[in-house]
Amino acid sequence: MRTKGFAKHYYLMLLPGLIWLFIYNLFPMYGILTAFKDFNPGIGILKSPWIGLENFQYMFELDDSKLIFRNTIFIALAKMIANLIVPLIFALMLNEVKNRLFTRTVQTIVYLPHFLSWVIVAGMMLDIFSYNGPVNQILSSLGLGKSLFFADAHSFPALIVGSDVWKEFGFNAIIFFAALTSINPEMYEAAAIDGASQWKRLTRITLPSILPVAVLLATLSMGNILNAGFDQIFNLYNPTVYSTGDIIDTWVYRAGLIDMQYGLATAVGLLKSVVGLFLISLSYGLAYRFANYRIF
Amino acid sequence: MKKSLLSAMAVMLVTASLSACGSSNDGGNNTSNAGNNAQGSNQTDNSGNAAATNTASGNSSNAAATEEAVDPFAKFAEPVEVSIGRAIDPNYKFDGTDTAEDNVYTRWLKDKFNIEIKHAWEAAQGTDYQQKVSLAISSNDLPDAMVVNETQLRQMVKAGQLADLKDVYDKYASPELKATYDSNPGLLDSVTFDGKLYALPETTLPSAPLTWIRKDWLDKLGLQPPKSLADLENIAKAFIDNKMGGDKTIGIVGTQQGGTLYSTFLSSTDHWYNFSPLFFANDAYPGIWTKDKDGNTVYGSTTEETKKALEMMRDWYAKGILDKEMGVRKSTAEVVASGQAGIFFGPWWSAYNNIPDNIKNDPKANWRAYAAPLDAAGKFNSNQATGSSYIVVSKEAKHPEAIIKMTSIHKWGKDEEFNKLTAGKQMTSQEVPLFLILGAGDQLEYAVNSLRKYLKGEMKIEDFDQANYGWAYEMAKHVKAIKKEPFDSYDIGTFDQQADTGFFTHIYAHLNGGSTFVDADVNWVRSIATAQTKTMESRWSNLKKLEDETFLKIIMGSEDISAFDTFVKKWKDQGGDKITEEVNELK
Repeated sequence: MRTKGFAKHYYLMLLPGLIWLFIYNLFPMYGILTAFKDFNPGIGILKSPWIGLENFQYMFELDDSKLIFRNTIFIALAKMIANLIVPLIFALMLNEVKNRLFTRTVQTIVYLPHFLSWVIVAGMMLDIFSYNGPVNQILSSLGLGKSLFFADAHSFPALIVGSDVWKEFGFNAIIFFAALTSINPEMYEAAAIDGASQWKRLTRITLPSILPVAVLLATLSMGNILNAGFDQIFNLYNPTVYSTGDIIDTWVYRAGLIDMQYGLATAVGLLKSVVGLFLISLSYGLAYRFANYRIF
Repeated sequence: MKKSLLSAMAVMLVTASLSACGSSNDGGNNTSNAGNNAQGSNQTDNSGNAAATNTASGNSSNAAATEEAVDPFAKFAEPVEVSIGRAIDPNYKFDGTDTAEDNVYTRWLKDKFNIEIKHAWEAAQGTDYQQKVSLAISSNDLPDAMVVNETQLRQMVKAGQLADLKDVYDKYASPELKATYDSNPGLLDSVTFDGKLYALPETTLPSAPLTWIRKDWLDKLGLQPPKSLADLENIAKAFIDNKMGGDKTIGIVGTQQGGTLYSTFLSSTDHWYNFSPLFFANDAYPGIWTKDKDGNTVYGSTTEETKKALEMMRDWYAKGILDKEMGVRKSTAEVVASGQAGIFFGPWWSAYNNIPDNIKNDPKANWRAYAAPLDAAGKFNSNQATGSSYIVVSKEAKHPEAIIKMTSIHKWGKDEEFNKLTAGKQMTSQEVPLFLILGAGDQLEYAVNSLRKYLKGEMKIEDFDQANYGWAYEMAKHVKAIKKEPFDSYDIGTFDQQADTGFFTHIYAHLNGGSTFVDADVNWVRSIATAQTKTMESRWSNLKKLEDETFLKIIMGSEDISAFDTFVKKWKDQGGDKITEEVNELK
């Protein structure tokens, strides 16, 4: 355990952050009152009349509610899994390359897309998958028919997950690289002397050594199960893919900001937050129990 | 004990950041899809009056006649600051270092009238601006004045955020402004709630979607301009088959990502880059409330005619006549500018905004507007636009009279000094703060007809009614340098694009698109409702989503045409019937 006298300084250093958190994150939470009120912007949130659970009732009446929750969970879950496996495999593969210059270069290049905004990446994606774009040209030169991917409700989730993985896998791999470098090289040397093959060394030393990190990341990402990526989908979707691509956040955006149904939008957002709180608590609990993970 | 406290705190922190993520979707996510919205137009003062006929001196005399009346064009004794929310066009090019906040117009406003414009915030026009306005309303953080749409106006009235303009309007509005509103009966009543005047509405400029076609392509292929839907189909097909715009020629372009298939009763002026005419020619009026054969109120999107139109469009889409990427495309303007497409639909003023980019790339691109396609009975149909922009003034504003004055000044306050400063450059919504289209309904008709007569020598420049149609007069002064013979043809080759670049687009738009529209015999169909009813407030977004999704899917072939009947049933069940009843009561 840590020395107790020392810990107090840490809390002091935490203070500015906590104040910031209070002002920008905790204080604005009073806005969730809007979900239970007939919000009138002219008189403010506090003075608007209470209407109880009417907004929630209406939310559950809507066909859309089930759909957007289902879409959100499906896309977010697929992203979580893909964003764990792809970077892991990538890190393992690159780890086997011994040329330092090469690995460094590749690492730098693949993590660059992380810094591009979705507005830009979405524009690129729409172009690449457009009706006369490169993908369709390859398909038609292979004798396959052209199709408009972003207007196809079946392929839309796959494109969302795929483009997200493309953008983020280099960045997500960084944590695996860090875990890989922390493996004691003596283990590899000992294994090599004992005659273990390259493959054996990978499966018996590397994988078990970074498994805890992978498990930890997986557990912690559970809290994100209701975050399917507003920026990305908002820039890529259109009415034809509402059935598979409309997520909670885009729906809340349309209801709240376009149609000015503040109460309803807040109610849906609040429900999302409550479920998210539950999942985050759960994932922290699991991480704490099984991966020995602590925030403090 | 301590540990559990800490972990509870940790959970709290994580929650807080999560909820922040949640709420930031309402607020922070201004992922600006700039250019996403086809309305990216700079309104110009088409019906404007640039002439200096009504200067301050001219009015002070008759103002003095009535007791307590004030000169609407007098300079404020003290500098008056007006904060506004402003829609800007990121691509607009100002002279020198001018900006939307500080340009030749705002400087003149300050020097001449002591009105100082401050921008509370700026947002790109279109979706971004609307979003910013909605945010300002919901957070009750309002500038002194801004331009809003009808839904926002009603929201603000309901929330009690607006100043009653009745007294300042009576006192400060110039006689011309009052005359303009008087010549549009009912307009001010539509923004008067409980006897209080809450906004200055724009006067409706007529606008029906015309069919714009590359006539140079028609000529090359020896085709005639279209009359019927079948003609249009054949032309589009010929354009594609003959690769008029290269290998990637697109037949008919329209709706882009975030756009709509047709204009609706809530945004009826939005005839830009959509497919409205294909519905109108089928006698279908989706998106507005009409009467059926028996006189009952019906929502146009649920009628058999709309189904027929969708079926036709589905067929055209499958044949590749309609843009394969409709609804997904980022920018329709881009394919028009690059010369890939030879047909689109747009109002007469499309020649202001869409076509010049294409002409720049290809000076021979001869776009012409046609009042087509006609319906089976040979009529050219269109839904009728209702005004959709309003200047509103916040309750908190210190000088509501300054806003009334600005509105008068914009149209009728321009003097010799102003003309010298601007050197004939037409001021657009980018220079003029709180730009509102105001004018008698026949401005366009007068401008087009008198210009034509003037060119033919049937009318002299002195014959122009400068006082009421100053803009027509202003254009007449420039028209002879730009329009060459033959005067009855408006092909691009008969215009000198370089002689007077400041006026070329004005003259070109008026003579090309304007003349087609003025000559057209339009069968106007008006929506019974022009604003949301009670039930719509909660149900409409859901119903509209259902409609948008179903229609686009039917056209693009991912749903069968039978999905239309399912849609109608669902629409009625989910509140449509109740809304129809409410609209019926408006009749």
